[in-house]
Amino acid sequence: MPRALAVTCKVICLLLIGVVGSLLSEKNDLQFLVLTFSVQFKSVTLGLLPLQAEPIRVVVTGAAGQIAYSLLFSIAKGDVFGKDQPIILILLDIPPMLPVLDGVVMELQDCALPLLREVIPTDKVEVGFKDIDAAILVGSMPRKEGMERKDLLKANVAIFKTQGQALDKYAKKTVKVLVVGNPANTNCLIASKSAPSIPKENFSCLTRLDHNRACSQVAMRCGVSSDKVKNVIIWGNHSSTQYPDVHHAKVNLSGSEVSAYDAVKNDAWLRGDFISTVQLRGAAVIKARKLSSAMSAAKAICDHMRDIWFGTKEGEFISMGVYAAGNSYGIPEDLIYSFPIQIKNKTWKVVDGLPINDFSRAKMDATAAELVEERDTAMDFLSQ
Amino acid sequence: IVLVTGAAGQIAYSLLFSIAKGDVFGKDQPIILLLLDITPMLPVLEGVVMELQDCALPLLREVIATDKEEVAFKDLDAAILVGSMPRKEGMERKDLLKANVAIFRSQGAALDKYAKKTVHVLVVGNPANTNCLIAAKSAPSIPKENFSCLTRLDHNRACSQVAMRCGVPATHVKNVIIWGNHSSTQYPDVHHCKVSMSSGELACFDAVKDDSWLKGDFIATVQQRGAAVIKARKLSSAMSAAKAICDHMRDIWSGTPKGEFISMGVYSTGNPYGVPEDLIYSFPVQIKDKAWKIVDSLAINDFSKSKMDATAAELMEERDTALAFLAA
Repeated sequence: MPRALAVTCKVICLLLIGVVGSLLSEKNDLQFLVLTFSVQFKSVTLGLLPLQAEPIRVVVTGAAGQIAYSLLFSIAKGDVFGKDQPIILILLDIPPMLPVLDGVVMELQDCALPLLREVIPTDKVEVGFKDIDAAILVGSMPRKEGMERKDLLKANVAIFKTQGQALDKYAKKTVKVLVVGNPANTNCLIASKSAPSIPKENFSCLTRLDHNRACSQVAMRCGVSSDKVKNVIIWGNHSSTQYPDVHHAKVNLSGSEVSAYDAVKNDAWLRGDFISTVQLRGAAVIKARKLSSAMSAAKAICDHMRDIWFGTKEGEFISMGVYAAGNSYGIPEDLIYSFPIQIKNKTWKVVDGLPINDFSRAKMDATAAELVEERDTAMDFLSQ
Repeated sequence: IVLVTGAAGQIAYSLLFSIAKGDVFGKDQPIILLLLDITPMLPVLEGVVMELQDCALPLLREVIATDKEEVAFKDLDAAILVGSMPRKEGMERKDLLKANVAIFRSQGAALDKYAKKTVHVLVVGNPANTNCLIAAKSAPSIPKENFSCLTRLDHNRACSQVAMRCGVPATHVKNVIIWGNHSSTQYPDVHHCKVSMSSGELACFDAVKDDSWLKGDFIATVQQRGAAVIKARKLSSAMSAAKAICDHMRDIWSGTPKGEFISMGVYSTGNPYGVPEDLIYSFPVQIKDKAWKIVDSLAINDFSKSKMDATAAELMEERDTALAFLAA
């Protein structure tokens, strides 16, 4: 829309200039007017080419890694921020990965993508986070052989504290931050606490992958395509305590919308194997591929970010890990917890008033307890 | 119904998502994806199937993972042959050709036996041109025009190099040509290329204003880009290869824009540029109604002619070696 308006203004201005110019000139005849107008029309037509929205700055950390490799292409193609939104992509990783990053930059160039204005590889946070509009924090310390959960938390607290501070110092205050690197919820909380001048609502963590997996499991069970399943919810932590809840989910069966429990007709599965399948899917993929699930993670990241940017559809909600303060479901405050969410004007809101039965309550509490424990351990490290 | 071979590998991993999303065959075209790889890779293939399911893509009706040709090639509308024998340490060019002749003869025969006669086949696995020729010759009941090999990656790389030199987005560069073999003898030719600058549309040589670069380093950069990416990433260029495959297949399916041409390795018999017959050679091509046509009457100067001949010579040598194995 703004582009069309700008073009119209430009054409009108040039027409006026043409008319005024020909009136003021000595050769005050129709021929001159036509000539002037055609010259200006040509320049307007050609000037149409670069006339586009201002580029946004997007940083991806862990940019030399697997998930980023699947993700960067989709971002640069326009699948996340829109087909008319030019992008400046900043790729952040640790110094040993800089040569690999150069290879990634080469490949992005070779993809010949029109929206990609610039690609900046770096290992410096002051470059990585400068003036950014969106940050996707994929990089984190992976769990190594023999590592305890505590060690993993300690290492990641250090990383996300630094990145939170960098966001606070260099990024735009309107920046939207999506934390992917695990443990995602707690890393997100640490980053948010280390960036006090950025609203906590701008931070979220990824549970969309679990959400998509849950949709897909229900869809396959019902023999429909996964876009016919909606309003699945992932509650809690992006870990094996997550609770995939389909009590409010709907399935479109041959044109009529049916509740998931009625569509599947197998309560035992929905309360048992379905839940564990979704919870343990990540491990199943690693076991088969010998690598973690980059393709589907990248797809989920795109879905999550795109919904933040453009909003969710009327009557539909998706799952996101967000700051729990003020929630109406009795979840402890001061956590990043995955809720059912609707988004409008780049602002999310937890879907309120969904009835919660005892079965769901127990599971929601269990995952909250794990998050409280993680948070307390992490805050210990933070204060050191 | 679309088949991808080498489906457990790197390039396929970047490619399958784009296909299933609708970027190649259209946003309203449902797809049944067939994934073929060798038996040891079946567990990895299972993981890929899981991930495709987890992507929750509406157009993906079904995904079938298999190591059997009679399953993989059945009733195909499109086949993307990515899988090939990679060059191992100490392998001679001859050994590579011999191993791949076996693979592509078998797959050509399977296409002949099981696929629809209207199938479009894109060969990616290297040596792409010669593998494509072998497959076409092993599938006599499928028109040779339905076979092509990928030189779109080199084409995109050339566009990108010119674009960066001129400071414009890569989509402002068109009608670049890649002649010949998808190897280091390929000839990236910009004599007919146009660049859209803020001052208007210019011939490439006028836009770049550096003839020696265009005849020297530019060519070498595009020819060796693959090796440069491997050196940096320690892995070959899956992302950009997948993008090029999508571009190539999508242009076959939906046609090329008016006045623009792209590069594809196609059967050279009947070509207007004096390139030897019975090769798969990369030409400038326009596509309409799923049929390609070589862009003819482009002026060819001596500089271009010698480069076009050199890459043709390499292709003839490859073909003769391969055909010898085929007969054995």
